[in-house]
Amino acid sequence: MRSGRKRRPWAILAACGLLLAGCTNGEMPAGTGAAAPVPAELADGPLTMAVVSHAKPGDAFWEVVKSGAEQAGTELDVAVEYAGDPDPVQQTQLIDNAVARGVDGLIVSMANPEGVKAGVERAVAAGIPVITINSGLEESADYGAITHVGQSERMAGAAAGEAFADAGATKLVCVIHEAGNVGLEERCGGARDAFPGEVENLQVDISNTADARSTIRNKLMSDDEVDGVLALNQAIAVAAVGAADDAGSDVGIGTFDVSTDITDAIASGDLLFAVDQQPYVQGYLPVTLLALKARNGNEVGAGEPVYSGPALVTKDNVDQVSAFTERGTR
Amino acid sequence: MSGVDGAPRGGEVIIEARRIGKDYGNVTALADVSTTVRAGEVTCVLGDNGAGKSTFIKVLSGVHRHDHGELVVDGEPVVFDGPRAALERGIATVHQDLAMVPLMPIWRNFFLGSELTRGRGPLRRLDVARMRAITRAELLRMGIDLRDVDQPVGTLSGGERQSVAIARAVHFGARVLILDEPTAALGVKQAGVVLRYIVGARERGLGVVFITHNPHHAHPVGDRFLLLNRGRSLGDFARGEVDRAELVHLMSGGAELDELAHELDRDRS
Amino acid sequence: MGTSTGAAEPLPGARRPTVPRASLRVRLLRRPEVGALAAAVAVFVFFSLVTDTFLTPQGVATWLESAALFGIMAVAVSMLMIGGEFDLSTGVMVGSTGLLTGVLATHAGVNVWVAVVVSLVAALAVGLVNGLLVVRTGLPSFIVTLGTFFVLQGLNLALTKAVTGQVAVQGMTGAAGFWDARWLFGSSMRLGPATFQVSILWWALFTAACTWVLLRTRAGNWIFAAGGEARSARHSGVPVLRTKVGLFALTAFAGWLVGMLSLFRTTTVQASTGVGVEFVYIICAVVGGCLLTGGFGSAIGGALGALIYGMTYQGIVFAGWDNNWLKAFLGVMLLAAVAVNTSVRRRAHTAGAARTARTSPHVAAAGGSPGGAALDPEGEVRR
Repeated sequence: MRSGRKRRPWAILAACGLLLAGCTNGEMPAGTGAAAPVPAELADGPLTMAVVSHAKPGDAFWEVVKSGAEQAGTELDVAVEYAGDPDPVQQTQLIDNAVARGVDGLIVSMANPEGVKAGVERAVAAGIPVITINSGLEESADYGAITHVGQSERMAGAAAGEAFADAGATKLVCVIHEAGNVGLEERCGGARDAFPGEVENLQVDISNTADARSTIRNKLMSDDEVDGVLALNQAIAVAAVGAADDAGSDVGIGTFDVSTDITDAIASGDLLFAVDQQPYVQGYLPVTLLALKARNGNEVGAGEPVYSGPALVTKDNVDQVSAFTERGTR
Repeated sequence: MSGVDGAPRGGEVIIEARRIGKDYGNVTALADVSTTVRAGEVTCVLGDNGAGKSTFIKVLSGVHRHDHGELVVDGEPVVFDGPRAALERGIATVHQDLAMVPLMPIWRNFFLGSELTRGRGPLRRLDVARMRAITRAELLRMGIDLRDVDQPVGTLSGGERQSVAIARAVHFGARVLILDEPTAALGVKQAGVVLRYIVGARERGLGVVFITHNPHHAHPVGDRFLLLNRGRSLGDFARGEVDRAELVHLMSGGAELDELAHELDRDRS
Repeated sequence: MGTSTGAAEPLPGARRPTVPRASLRVRLLRRPEVGALAAAVAVFVFFSLVTDTFLTPQGVATWLESAALFGIMAVAVSMLMIGGEFDLSTGVMVGSTGLLTGVLATHAGVNVWVAVVVSLVAALAVGLVNGLLVVRTGLPSFIVTLGTFFVLQGLNLALTKAVTGQVAVQGMTGAAGFWDARWLFGSSMRLGPATFQVSILWWALFTAACTWVLLRTRAGNWIFAAGGEARSARHSGVPVLRTKVGLFALTAFAGWLVGMLSLFRTTTVQASTGVGVEFVYIICAVVGGCLLTGGFGSAIGGALGALIYGMTYQGIVFAGWDNNWLKAFLGVMLLAAVAVNTSVRRRAHTAGAARTARTSPHVAAAGGSPGGAALDPEGEVRR
C-alpha cells in the first residue's frame, strides 16, 4: 500500500477487513503518525487550502473570515474550501477530511485546543503546513503550526475591560449568548482580569434576541449599580441598546465585532466602543502566508503570532471604519 | 340451570356461571347471568350492542372480577385476579384485536410471549426453525395451508387471522376458547371460514364460548345459547330447546319488536 | 384461504420438517433496511465518482469514523423506535457522560476507569428514570425525554462551570489511568496510509449485538411486539413495560459509549456537546427503515442511516462545496434516501404479500401510536 491519492477499490476492502478482522490493535499511535514531513518543494500552479473553523455555518463573524480567505484565494490563485463545526469531534473529522484530500495548506481555529490537537498534529505529520487563527494562540506553536493569526479571546476581553475602566464604569455585566461556548467565557474572563470593578456574567440565548433584550432590561432594572454592559456579539449589542432604552438607563455599552449597525450606533453615541478582531484579516492573512510559503518558501513571523487585533472602534475613528464595514472587509 | 337433555355432545362441564353480576359504580352492567360451558360444545353468547356480552366474557377471561354470583371452574368456585390466572386454568380468549401484531411475521406472532429458545445464559436464543415448523403444522391441523409463515400477519385476511389466533390458543393448551365477535367484521364467505374453525375446535374436544350478535352465525354451530339484553339474561337454552326463528326473534328485540310491528301495521291500515 | 376443517394431522414432533420459505428475493425485499442499503450504495457511488478523495483509504477512514459516532446512537435509537418510543435526551447524554467522567478524573482525582464506570452507572440511571417516567405516567416519551433533555443540558453547563470554572473539561491526559482507557475508547489503527479510529469497531460490534438481540432473542420479539401493538403484546404475556424501560436503558448506554469515544478521542468535552444532535439520530433511524409509529425497523438499518449521513456530511466537504449549503445538501440527500427507501419497501410488501394484502403494514401501523400505549385502561399501568 503506497500513495493514497487516487481512487482505489482496495480501500474499501481494507475497511471491511478492519471490521472483520476484529481489531488486533497492534500499535497505538497517539495522534502523531510516523510519517516524515514532506520535504520542501516549491509549488507552482493553483493551490488548495482548507479553512476549518469552530463555527456553525452562517455565523456572521466567520462569514467575514471566509470572505477574507476567499479574496486572498482569488488574488493568489488558491482554491479556498471553508468548513466548520462547533463540536471538537466533528471539527477534528473535518481536519482529517482536509488531510485526506491532501490540501496544500490548512487553516484552523482552535476554540477548544485540546479537542482538535490530535487532528492538527496529524495534519502536521502529513506534511501539511498549518496556520491557526482566531483562537488557540497559546497552543499554536506546540501543535506544530507555522504561526497564529488572531488574538486570544482573553486579550480581546481584556481590551474591552480596559475600555470600560477608562470610561469610568464600576460594575460590568458580560452577556454570554451561547451556553457552553468556550470562547465567550474567555472574553468575559479577560474582561474580568482587566476590569478593576466587579464583572457578572449574564446568560441569554442568541437564537432569541427579543428575549435577550428583556433579560438584559430586567438585569438593568433590578441592579442599579450596573453601569456597563459588554455584549459579545453585534446582535446582542443591538439588543442591549434597546434594553437600556426600555429601562431608561444610561448604562455604557460595549461590544465585540463590527457591523454597519454597530458603527451607526457608535457614531450616534448609543455604543461606547466595539472590539474589532478584524476577522477579514484572520481569513486573508493565513491564506497569503501559506501561499507565500508554498510558492516562494517564505517563512513569516519567526514562529511568533500575528495579531489581527484587537482594534478598538470608538467615536473617534468610527467614520473611517464604517466605510470598510460596508464593503464587508472590517 | 336448566337441565340439559337435548343430547349433549359434550363431555364434562368446564365452566359454570351462576347468577353472575357486575357493577361499574352505580351502573349495573350485568345481573343474574347463568350458563354452562362443556368440553366439545359451543356455547353461544348472543346479544345486541351494549347487551353485556363483553362484560360477561371479561369476567370469564379474568379481566374483570364479578361482583355477584359464582364462577365455577372444574367444580370449584374461582375468582380470577387477571387474564393470566384464567389462562392457567386453560381458558384462553381470542380478542377482537386478536392479540396480534400486524407487522410481525406469523410465526413470531404465534409464539409471542411464549417463545421457544435453545442455548443457555447469554447464548439463549430463539429456536426459529422449530417455531416455524410448529406454526406451520398447527395451522395445517386447522386446515390452513399458508405457503409462507414469514409473511406479516397484517397481510392475512380477517378469517385467516382469526384462525391463526385460534390455532395459537389451542397449541398453548386451551381447553376453553372464548371467541369475541370473531365474525363481526367479516364478509359472508370469511365468516363461513371462521365458523368451520369453530366446529373444528369443538370436534377436537374444546369448549368454545362464541360471542356474536348474529343468530345466523350462532345457530348452525351452537350447542347452547345464552341471550343477553341490557345486562340481563333472556334465557339460556340447549340446542333442542330453541330453533333459529325463535333465536332471531329473541335477538332482534322480541316483545319490543312485536310492539313496533303492531304500531307500524296500524299506521299502514 | 383455508380448505377444509382441521383433519387431525399428527404434529411433526422434534424432527426437522421442511417449512416452505418465500423466495430469496421476496425475503430480501421484506427486510426493513433494504431501502437504506440501496440509498447507501447510491450515495457511495455518487461521491466516489464526484470526488477524488472519497475512495482513498484516508477518505474512507474519515467518513467511517463520522458515521460510527452517529451510528452507535442511531442503532440504539432504532431499537427504541421499533419499541414504539422516542428519546430526545440522547444527544446531551453524550455530553453528560463525557463531562461527568472528565470532571471526576480531572477535578476529583478519581482514576479514569472508576470515572468511566461511575458515568456508566449514572447514564443507566437516567435511562431508567426516562423509561419509568414514560411507562408509569403514560405520557408520550417525546415529552418526558424532552424534559430530561433540558435537565441534562442545564446540569451539563451549570455543574461543569461550577466545578471547573470553565465550560469544557480540560487536562484529561494527566489523569490517572487515562492512557489505558484511551486504548479501549480512543485508539486508532494504521492500515496502510490511513488511520482508522477504534470507534468504527465499536460501531460494528454494537450493531451486530443489537441485530442479534432483535432477531434472535425473546427480547427482540418483545421489542417488535411492544412497538407494533402494545395491547396485543400485553395480552400475549409480553412484559411490555419492562421491555420499554430496558430500551431506554439501552439508549442511555449507547449515549455513554459515544460519550466515552468522544472524550478519549479528543481528550476534552464541551458543556454544549450533543445539543441538537438527537434529531440526527432519529433521522438516521428513519432513513434506515424504522417507522415513526414503531413496530418496524432494524438495527442494521439505523447503522446504514448513519452511514449515509456520515458519507454525505464528509462527502460534501470532499467535494469542496460551499459550506453554507451543507444543511440543504444534507436535507436533499436524506429526502432522496427516504424516497428510495419507501419505494423499495412498498414494492417489497406487494411482492411479499402472497395473498390478499388487505392491510398494508404502513396502514396497520398508523393505527397504533407510539408512546400512547401506556394509556391503555386495561394495562399494567393500573398497578
